[in-house]
Amino acid sequence: MRHVVVVGAGVAGTAAALAAGAAGARVTLLDGGAGASVLAGGAMDLAPWEDAAHGEGEELFAEPAVARVLAELGDVVRVGATTAVVVTAAGIVRPARAVDRALLDLAGLPAGLVLVPRVDHPGWDAGAGARAWNDTRLARAGGLEFMAIDATLVRFVDERSLGHAELAARHDAPERLAWLGARVKDAIGRTARAPVVGVVVPPWLGVERARADELSAAVGIPCGEALVGLGGPAGLRFEHARDRALEARAITVVASRAEELARDGEGWRVTLERGDRIAADRVVLAAGGLVGGGISYTPSAAVLAGELPSRARKSFTSTVDAPVTLGVGGRALGLPGSLFGESPETLAWPFADGSPLLERVGVLASSSGHVAGGLYAAGDVVADRPRTWLDALARGARAGAAAARAT
Amino acid sequence: MREHAGPAPEQSFDVAIIGGGVNGTGVARDLSLRGLKVILFERNDLAFGASGNSSGMIHGGVRYLTSNPKVTEQSCRDSGYIQQIAPHLLFRIPFLFPVKSGLKGRIAIELIDAFFRAYDQFQPLKRGEPHTRLSPSELAVLEPGLTGSLVGGITFDEWGVDGARLCVLNAVDAKERGAVVHVHTAVESVERALDDEAPSGQNVGSYVVRARDLMTDRALLARARVVVNATGAWGPITAALGNLPSSRVRVRPGKGIHVAFDRRLSNYGIVCEAIDGRQIFVMPWQNMTVIGTTDDDYFGDLNEVLATSEEVRYLVQGVARIFPAIREARAIGTWAGVRPTLYAFGPNEDALSREHMIVDHANDGAPGIYSMIGGKLASYRLFAQEMSDRIAVDLAPQSRCSTHEKPLPGGDRVPDAFALSEQGEITPVAARRLVYRHGSRSARVLARIAKSPRERAVVCACEPVLEAEVRCALTFEMARSVEDVARRTRLGLGACGGMRCAARCGQIVAEELGLPPSHGAKMARAFLVRHAKTRVVAMGPEQARQEALAFAAMRATLGLRGDDP
Repeated sequence: MRHVVVVGAGVAGTAAALAAGAAGARVTLLDGGAGASVLAGGAMDLAPWEDAAHGEGEELFAEPAVARVLAELGDVVRVGATTAVVVTAAGIVRPARAVDRALLDLAGLPAGLVLVPRVDHPGWDAGAGARAWNDTRLARAGGLEFMAIDATLVRFVDERSLGHAELAARHDAPERLAWLGARVKDAIGRTARAPVVGVVVPPWLGVERARADELSAAVGIPCGEALVGLGGPAGLRFEHARDRALEARAITVVASRAEELARDGEGWRVTLERGDRIAADRVVLAAGGLVGGGISYTPSAAVLAGELPSRARKSFTSTVDAPVTLGVGGRALGLPGSLFGESPETLAWPFADGSPLLERVGVLASSSGHVAGGLYAAGDVVADRPRTWLDALARGARAGAAAARAT
Repeated sequence: MREHAGPAPEQSFDVAIIGGGVNGTGVARDLSLRGLKVILFERNDLAFGASGNSSGMIHGGVRYLTSNPKVTEQSCRDSGYIQQIAPHLLFRIPFLFPVKSGLKGRIAIELIDAFFRAYDQFQPLKRGEPHTRLSPSELAVLEPGLTGSLVGGITFDEWGVDGARLCVLNAVDAKERGAVVHVHTAVESVERALDDEAPSGQNVGSYVVRARDLMTDRALLARARVVVNATGAWGPITAALGNLPSSRVRVRPGKGIHVAFDRRLSNYGIVCEAIDGRQIFVMPWQNMTVIGTTDDDYFGDLNEVLATSEEVRYLVQGVARIFPAIREARAIGTWAGVRPTLYAFGPNEDALSREHMIVDHANDGAPGIYSMIGGKLASYRLFAQEMSDRIAVDLAPQSRCSTHEKPLPGGDRVPDAFALSEQGEITPVAARRLVYRHGSRSARVLARIAKSPRERAVVCACEPVLEAEVRCALTFEMARSVEDVARRTRLGLGACGGMRCAARCGQIVAEELGLPPSHGAKMARAFLVRHAKTRVVAMGPEQARQEALAFAAMRATLGLRGDDP
């Protein structure tokens, strides 16, 4: 049985592990801790939603490996036949190719009133949210009107100072969710206007599982969360769904970072941070990009011991010592033209022409994710890929399936 | 939003001031206190230029000690006055002057010691401590981050200030005393009125000032007997609006940048040396560490002054020689300003005079028009007094200056932060910062919270800034955008770069000012992008991850482009 080691337990690594497992390989998944997937907000895109037509990449869903992984993670991600529409805490209404199951998908709602409960929590302003969402094209096009209503959804005074994720965890308890449902129902009952077609609640609908369907069933109309950026519960829900899926596939998870990937005869030797070694036939590198910690940016200017560096060095490196080449636009990165590193002005914002360089630098790999001799890469660690959830999942599934099968 | 309304009816004033920096607002306050009717126009926001982008110090003019000790005495006395009128806004920054060992160092420390002994005589005027001389072992205890072989060091102290707030407080006070203040309003022309019949012997005229509100596109007209050009480095450009020769208001713009780090890294401000021998510094400032500053001739666009990575590297290199921890530290932003230094061709930038000068345009056939050029933050009150005294000769001969006696808004009393914290049920840290920025006017913020408890919500956690304070900045302090709120409260200027608070602030701005919510989101985006540009020039390893995260977060919830999907 072929042994596939997957480095990284974010969405790309998880998809690779599940796909390799489905293809019959023995899989070990290295979990180096939280990365970009855990920070993600719950809107799942193939490409940045502003940048590209959403039809692009649809064919990925038809690939068996990708479809199977999506099904296995189905209790967190909902991929509909059409694009979803969500509201964000920052006050916009935006499309998303797929969504976390706790989010309210406006695309399916008939025209009418969407209620937004006012709650006594500093991270939620129903009035401002409703005003902002009403002032958007998608709300008008869908015939939706958002209206803030009074409701007591915070049960205990001290819950005002809890973060969204902690409150979401409290709503995993059936009794608490039922209490929430009764409160929402009560608020709807006091609404004179009709028809009420949906309710946007704060991002509190569970951590172990998305509880939107249960709440909707209790209330009688669709209820769901607004999308919050960092610090929301969507990333935690992904982790729970991931753990369930990995367990169902009997995939071994090792809580460690990989330090080195080295060729060893026909296969690979993976060295972990405590010095342990694992022998692998194939390796999938899915350690993340700059956010996740797979790529690091350390310009010479930041590490100078004296007044000048002893030698010119590259600013971007892979944090896993591996025979990979970092590059962008299909070309390997060279030495910067200054002993101090590149001018940061050229690496980051502004972004008039799409993604900044900072986001595009990564491992050069083929379209299947193959890097060299049985080493694959997937997710944010790969150069020139959009840093989006569905792209990482699709590429991860492809790479995992390829690693399990390739001769 | 642009609404097309007809011009506002013409109003008459004694004095029209162009420029909402510390000089312009200082004159507006001084003249308002003397009972004159004043109107002030600012093209951008209050403190948009040099006033809001300085080193943030009210120093005692130590650089003039040998050349002109009278200036030092005057500066120290005025520093004392500013402490009296705005005690909440000043904070002590003890400074350290480390001296390297070696024969040169042993001589240098004696000279520096003697120099600061001379400075000591003026320190009581500004409640400063006398200097001390430290041995190398004392230095190691007081500032363990210092490196290299040192023969000793000298301490002295100066006062830090938030320059933007100082400016805003002057404007608010002027406004409360009857002045009209327009921000984001550009003057388009200054013309002699046709019916101008100034009494002979007086240096006044009759001028029509045409301006335009850049946010609403509304035209404004004002008539004034005296016009003051207080536009700093923009001075020569402003002169052209009144058909005056730019050469009469010549300045030599000098760009200076600062880099901010995410926490306080040292106990003392430390004087360091750059690669070209210039003095630079690292200092604890508010809740950050700041390094500065450069001084380079500037030939670029004054509306878009940005620090470059080269300037950042120049400063970091110089500071790291003696304080290496700066390389490990996380830079969270930069700011850049342009000094309106008096013009001279030849001397290098550091040798230029920081003095100020009033140009009387009566000699250019425009009696009653003055230009204020040069000057620095620390001497703003004196400069404003000089200007106001000149104007008062004709317009209010019986009046006298009282800007050194009457407290600035909130400066009459510094409330106890712990008491406020209990009263408003806000964290002591939030209360402490509130008192720093608002002094006794913190009561106004607490009153909002008492009326609407939800407004105690923390909008910006880094600083922190409460929702009620954001609303007060919009109601009482003339803020009109997210950027303006940030300038007044430091919202979004901390470690998170506004990632968590800009969108929320945009919603509040839109609501308070009656703008559509999408306009609030647009302002938030503009703020985030502008500040990202100022941050990345100092980007190190940690900040790079933060930047990548910022794109992701902004893309997910706000959108990078700003089109409504």
